Amino acid sequence: MSRTTWLISRLLQIVPTFLLIGLAIFVLARLLPGNAVMAMLGDRGTDEAVARLSHDLGLDQSIFAQLVVFLEGVASGNLGRSLAFHIPVTQLIAERLPVTLILTGLASVFAIAIAVPLAFVAALNANRWPDLLIRGIFQFGLSSPIFYVGLVLLTVFAAWLRWFPVGGYGESWGERLYHLFLPAITLGFSFAAVVMRNLRASILGVIHAEYVVFARAKGLRPGIVLARHVLRNALIATVTLIGLHIGSLLGGAVITESVFAVPGVGRLMVDSIFSRDYPVIQALTLVLAIMVSLAFLVTDIVQMWLDPRVGR
Amino acid sequence: MNERIALTRRRMIAASAFTGLASMGFVGEANAAPVRGGKMIYARNADSLLLDPVWTDANVDIWVSSSIYDTPLLPTSDGLGVQAGIATKWDVAADGLSLTLTLRAGVKFSDGTAMKASDVKFSLDRARDPKAGAWNEMLGSIDGITSSEPGTVVIKLKRPDPTLIPALAMFNTGIFCQAKYEATPGKDDKEKAEKFAEHPLGTGPYMLVEWQRNTRMVLKRNPHYWGKAPDGGALPYLDEIEFQIIPDDATRLLKLKAGEVHGSEFIPFSRVKELQADQNLRMELWPSTNVTTYGMFCGEKFKDGTPNPMANQKFRQALNYAVNKDAIIAITTQGLGKKLQSFMSSVTPLNILGGPVYEYDHAKAKALMAESGVPAGTTIACQFLAGNQNHLNNLTAMQQMWAQIGVKLVLTPLDNPTRVAKYRAEDYQINAGGWTDDIADPSEITSYYAYYPNIHNLHTQWQDARVNELFELSQKEIDVAKRRALYKELQERYIAAAPIIFLYEVPYPVAFRKNVKGFVQIPLGNNYFEAAYVEK
Repeated sequence: MSRTTWLISRLLQIVPTFLLIGLAIFVLARLLPGNAVMAMLGDRGTDEAVARLSHDLGLDQSIFAQLVVFLEGVASGNLGRSLAFHIPVTQLIAERLPVTLILTGLASVFAIAIAVPLAFVAALNANRWPDLLIRGIFQFGLSSPIFYVGLVLLTVFAAWLRWFPVGGYGESWGERLYHLFLPAITLGFSFAAVVMRNLRASILGVIHAEYVVFARAKGLRPGIVLARHVLRNALIATVTLIGLHIGSLLGGAVITESVFAVPGVGRLMVDSIFSRDYPVIQALTLVLAIMVSLAFLVTDIVQMWLDPRVGR
Repeated sequence: MNERIALTRRRMIAASAFTGLASMGFVGEANAAPVRGGKMIYARNADSLLLDPVWTDANVDIWVSSSIYDTPLLPTSDGLGVQAGIATKWDVAADGLSLTLTLRAGVKFSDGTAMKASDVKFSLDRARDPKAGAWNEMLGSIDGITSSEPGTVVIKLKRPDPTLIPALAMFNTGIFCQAKYEATPGKDDKEKAEKFAEHPLGTGPYMLVEWQRNTRMVLKRNPHYWGKAPDGGALPYLDEIEFQIIPDDATRLLKLKAGEVHGSEFIPFSRVKELQADQNLRMELWPSTNVTTYGMFCGEKFKDGTPNPMANQKFRQALNYAVNKDAIIAITTQGLGKKLQSFMSSVTPLNILGGPVYEYDHAKAKALMAESGVPAGTTIACQFLAGNQNHLNNLTAMQQMWAQIGVKLVLTPLDNPTRVAKYRAEDYQINAGGWTDDIADPSEITSYYAYYPNIHNLHTQWQDARVNELFELSQKEIDVAKRRALYKELQERYIAAAPIIFLYEVPYPVAFRKNVKGFVQIPLGNNYFEAAYVEK
């Protein structure tokens, strides 16, 4: 199989995945007890009000009829109107998706930028004090809940030192990066810990491999040996791990966005589930599924580049 | 009633703010001359959803709608009555079957369009349309409305209705520009409302200029607003208000302390003392109609067919006496709550105010338990909103208290739609809930708590034919003293029957930077920013 054929087959695999996810979330959302009318009217809903609102929202139709409306909408690019916000779902997501993408992107960059060099330092000093110190710090990152890390950072760097704003999202790009700095650190911290520990273990696994010993024996400079022979091979497993963790990162964004008042899709998803806002839940799940699928695809492509055996 | 014999709304607000501040020892600051211009940033815990007063069903819309829309009348700042709004006079006919509103001259919408009497008629007709929204019943006694320019609206009634005047001060009677509303695209009123609410147009003190959902909302002062300050100058004082949406309590308070916002709503009670001690901040505790009560299912059998001990009145009374409200108020509200004197708050009109009900009395609880015949070791479950710390605190304390009389309480946290679905299906045992009035009248809360035909009295299935009759009589009785007597008997019967656990009422906790003055939150919850200002 050529690489092009492999790539096309990978892309085609995504289509049925989306269809299955779309159907699953449609059914699962409706299997949850209660519905949007319960959430909207709360304890005060009279029978008449419940019946009227159910009719207005189309929730008095059979699940099959609702499914047909949903699929017709998806086919025509119309994901419906939010039951809670009363505006088109596409508008709602378009306003918020870039925020989450920037946040998770920054968090990933932060995590990788910190984790890769520190993994080298830790591996090259295995079981000595730099290794123990780095692992100790990242153990804290792994074991601390995101909301706790976020509140600590907010209290110290925003409320006390006033170096950063206490949450929110700015107007200009500069302001946005400034506002998202602490949330990205918060979100990236535990991710960096996972990457660092995995990469350290991978480096330790390859650093004494025969081809590395041979490269050194050939007289190659240590930097070149590390970059070409150690890092490239150690990264294969880590890239897989990073790809798999994109979903977790999006999950972590839910909490980070709440703590830092960042208006992304994470917060929107939580609010939508609690308000049984089916069109938003369905659309967001599809969008997030696309993002995760694309992340997996990129992971596969990077792996193919790192390891030419992949895709053959 | 004539405007001249009532305080103007602005003076009431100023007076209220002064009184509130004076009680907290800030008399000197409250006397300082208001500053005109500038911007206030106010942190809210949730965004608005639909800025249409007719179709909305959420406090997040209702509480800010008063900044954009005026209503024919306005609630007084003590929550007990009404005062002039768009209407400066409201005359009830001797037979109680018609009401004539005399409209304020020169009122304009925020785009400069002059408001007409026909706009008021249109808005009221829309608000009472049985097909529109959840609030039309509040105007259900209206038979027809006529208007004549320049400023008279006559409302004909099917029957005398003592609730109509306070209903004309409810958010759902917000005044629209008929021509602009009807020109809004949409296949029906709901669609038009959703479109119109994106760029609402009202005669209120502010106008919406920007709205990023769940992020921020920007209101600018309405240059055409009719309100005047006590010095004769224009209101509102502020040029702009920015609402920032910050759901997390801790983050909202950090932003307030850091000076990134000027004010914040929904301060957790556990943080009130800390903010009161902060020299840069001012904690405001506004009297509210917010009551916390736990409804007990009173049917003979639970949904699963097992016998229900709470069908027994003495058992319900025993449970009430066994709850130490002082302890719960100290634990959950940090001492800021007050024991209930009825099912309605102490600032709801016609509350009997006969002192706290079911004061903690362990001996009496034990005696009633014995009289009830309900065996010791009985287990009952209470469903509550998962993550609600106040309910969790209350119920954890009640677990200990009820264990003292031999009742085991099981806590069942649920997410809101699930909890409401079980509550509506009457498939629960105790439901942790609460209430905030929307109208300066007891009829709304009473119709839900005590009048069975509405929603089976909070779906408890408790009912009393005499209470139903008293409520129906009170809905036609326009003599205030007679209506008060009806409500007195109604409340006494309700309290004796004890279909709910009577817990507490709490104020609205709002905090501001020290240099912010003039904000008012009335007992119904509405936020008033028109007299608010930020000192330099």
